[in-house]
Amino acid sequence: MITFKEMQKAAEYIRKNVAADDYNFSINGSEDLLTRFAQNGITQHISGNKLNVNLSVAFDNKNGQASGNNLDLDSLKYLIKTAQSMAKLNQSDPEFVQSEPAHKLPDVNNYAKNTADLPMEKIVDDILKCVKNAKGKGAKLSGISQKHVYDTFLTTKNGFEGFDRSTSFSHSMTMKKEGVETKVSRSVKDHVNFSMQKMIEQLNSQFDSLNNPLQIEKGKIPVILRPAAVLNWLFYLIWTFDRRTADEGHTPFTDQIGKQFFGEKFTFRSRLDDPDLEASKFLNGGIPAENIDWVVNGVLKNMSATRYYAKKNDLKALRPYNIIVDGGDTTEEEMMKMVGRGVIINNFWYIRPTDRKTGEWTGLTRDGVLYFEDGKIQKSVTNFRWNEILHDATKRILAMGPSIQQEYYAKVPTLLIDDFNFVDVTTF
Amino acid sequence: MDFLSLAMDTAKSLGADYADIRIQRSSTEMIYLRNLSLKNTSLNEIYGYGIRVFKDGAWGFAHNSVFTADAMNKTVKKAYAIAKESGRIKYGDGLILAHERGYIDSYKTQFRIDPFDVPLSEKVELMMEVNKTMLNFAEIKLAVFMLECRKDEKLFASTLGSRLDIQTVYIEPTLTATAVAEGDSQSRTYSHGGQAKGWEWVQSLNLTDKAVQVAEEAILKVHADSLGAEERKTLLLDPNHMALTMHESVGHPTELDRVLGWEADFAGISFATPEKLGNYQYGSKIVNFIADNTLVGGIATAGYDDDGVPNQKWYIIKDGILNEYGNTRATAPLIGLKMSRGCNRATNYFDFPINRIPNLYLQPGKEKLSPQELIADTEDGVYIEGRGSFSIDQHRENFQFGGDMFWEIKNGKKVRPLKKILYKSNNPEFWNSVDAICDERYFQTFGVTNCGKGQPGQRGRMTHGGALARFRYIRVGGSK
Ligand SMILES: [Zn+2]
Repeated sequence: MITFKEMQKAAEYIRKNVAADDYNFSINGSEDLLTRFAQNGITQHISGNKLNVNLSVAFDNKNGQASGNNLDLDSLKYLIKTAQSMAKLNQSDPEFVQSEPAHKLPDVNNYAKNTADLPMEKIVDDILKCVKNAKGKGAKLSGISQKHVYDTFLTTKNGFEGFDRSTSFSHSMTMKKEGVETKVSRSVKDHVNFSMQKMIEQLNSQFDSLNNPLQIEKGKIPVILRPAAVLNWLFYLIWTFDRRTADEGHTPFTDQIGKQFFGEKFTFRSRLDDPDLEASKFLNGGIPAENIDWVVNGVLKNMSATRYYAKKNDLKALRPYNIIVDGGDTTEEEMMKMVGRGVIINNFWYIRPTDRKTGEWTGLTRDGVLYFEDGKIQKSVTNFRWNEILHDATKRILAMGPSIQQEYYAKVPTLLIDDFNFVDVTTF
Repeated sequence: MDFLSLAMDTAKSLGADYADIRIQRSSTEMIYLRNLSLKNTSLNEIYGYGIRVFKDGAWGFAHNSVFTADAMNKTVKKAYAIAKESGRIKYGDGLILAHERGYIDSYKTQFRIDPFDVPLSEKVELMMEVNKTMLNFAEIKLAVFMLECRKDEKLFASTLGSRLDIQTVYIEPTLTATAVAEGDSQSRTYSHGGQAKGWEWVQSLNLTDKAVQVAEEAILKVHADSLGAEERKTLLLDPNHMALTMHESVGHPTELDRVLGWEADFAGISFATPEKLGNYQYGSKIVNFIADNTLVGGIATAGYDDDGVPNQKWYIIKDGILNEYGNTRATAPLIGLKMSRGCNRATNYFDFPINRIPNLYLQPGKEKLSPQELIADTEDGVYIEGRGSFSIDQHRENFQFGGDMFWEIKNGKKVRPLKKILYKSNNPEFWNSVDAICDERYFQTFGVTNCGKGQPGQRGRMTHGGALARFRYIRVGGSK
């Protein structure tokens, strides 16, 4: 990978040679190892380093931006020439914001040597264990193991400099045999905290609990959403979680800041000081990350904002850089006893907005659905389509399990939600 | 230095059963204009090479952006070592590659004006004018113009002796106006998706006129009513809308890698399994889907795929029956085929090629029929234009679609605009419900440039097309 020294050297060249009034210069690099398998065999296996070198400049408030994947002098010269000539040909941007000055950045450790040093042979060994397990069950396994080392470097005309090196390891796998199809996935920043044995056990436990599914009627049904499903819908919530589009009247969040918009049990934050989770040191062109509450006990506290919009409205120019949803202490067994009947959902699939203004979304269930009644699992059932106003669904949270680490950037609980709106059923 | 030969010679000397190299420069110009604020004006160029080595039925792939003999040799060796490591967990008894030969050829997207030669100032001026036109309407609170131009320059060589020089270009202008009124926000978009054409195409579009139409319809839409609870109705779907439905419900389920379960962990699998070939009634008798990677203006058209297989044209669905898949050299032999249809494509030099949807379109109706005649022949239905909400299950059976603009049809006439319309259907119900397709005079193509697939995800592109078609007895209603 490119060293920090090489990045600084390139930054020095930019500082000396950019004629524009302002600039942001960033370098994003990665070292990737990607081992993909399907139907019990490796089908794709990739290794290499990637680089993105980006220069955005401004003459007065006219912008131009050029990027490439090389750091040599000729490439830097080309970036300067291209970005500057684009800016000169461009029109003024009424929402132009000057680049960030120097900031003290939080002390965050996103790097783990264990992950960076993980050899390909070890990854293949672990996949082999998973495949053997699947074969033992007469099933087919498909998935991917990924190791990444990421570099983020940013410097500006006004004196900002920030650098962060982070690591992640992730593994996901789907086991399928006839009508039974289920998946587990997990990622960590430090491979030392990853246990393939535990993942195999979780996969087997999900797999063994499922049978060829039977169809039941659609309708409003209580659901136990497992963490992968909860995280999946949170991604989509975050997608529309923008202060400006809310203020401009396009989303359900319009005029809701400070109000009880979500259910009381729902709290969602981003934290710098959670030892298990990765956290950006800086965001949005050089804004130092800080602990931030997005939703507390259902009250909408903050939303994402760009630097321009934050400056104009005296807001923080932050976004959810990691995801922590508070949990409770209810077990799935206790949840099943709290409602007469319902379904347990491992994951969601293909979530899309159906009505941006009301915040209604559609999606399907995936990776196995279990029907329970009288406090006990009764049978596997086929998947459902749902159309649901997701923030309203948080008002129907009846109980929560402990918040557990699902990905290297997220901790979420299992949720028991009443009357989830299932509108269709699938054949499988 | 002849890097292509160097890489292939090194691969052969190592003992590779097959190898190829793709040297690829991808240039993307993006201009994103939001309410007269230029949020992004950028040119991105990435240049490097990816080397695939096939050894004992398993793949290895390594990429690099350093162009020296030493770096290239190291990258070939790395790809070879990875292939050997992959061989520890073989797919079945090892993959087999479909028969192919070497080609020495070149391909270039046809255009008059290279979009990268058009000065930025000219593009920004046009975009500003379009934005201002939209914002002249009091209820239009958000006007967005996104312009993407992309060029890929590829040199491909394989140990079969191929030497290919390929240059493809596409342009994608997208205009969106959003009206805010009565506590609602509704948008309307004008877009043909990406088109493999020159800047002369953009000049011919009269985008300022389109901006007026889009703004007016966004305003009509924000004040429109919705429908009540779901009921069975007739749908008239325009080709832009159908581009998305065919992509999701025909394109993806007929990718052979999905059929074989290669995407089981993320994108999903397919209900359209091999025993259904030649007998499964996918659509009504008038439904013919043609895969055509030779289509002029198509954004999957490139002369050859990234397996070095020539572009082809074939039936995916013929007279309503599932006929064939789109496949690759590694997938085709798994269902007993000798040759690949040439659907293996990678997005950037560092991506491993995957089985992609070809250019795919619904063949126009054989009998003369105009949209006006089709509307006049429809008693009670909903006419849907453009793309909106879309969601489909991972076996590609059950789906729900919205749209960009909706009109109620009563007694052969468009009577009023509607909003917040959703319909639900599934395979094989949907394409079997088609009872009329307008003729070839009304055939139009639309590109899809954001087809997400693979692990890690790649952004694929292909062109779809059709003419206005009628679907009977579909579950349609208002979202609540
Ligand atoms: Zn797609």
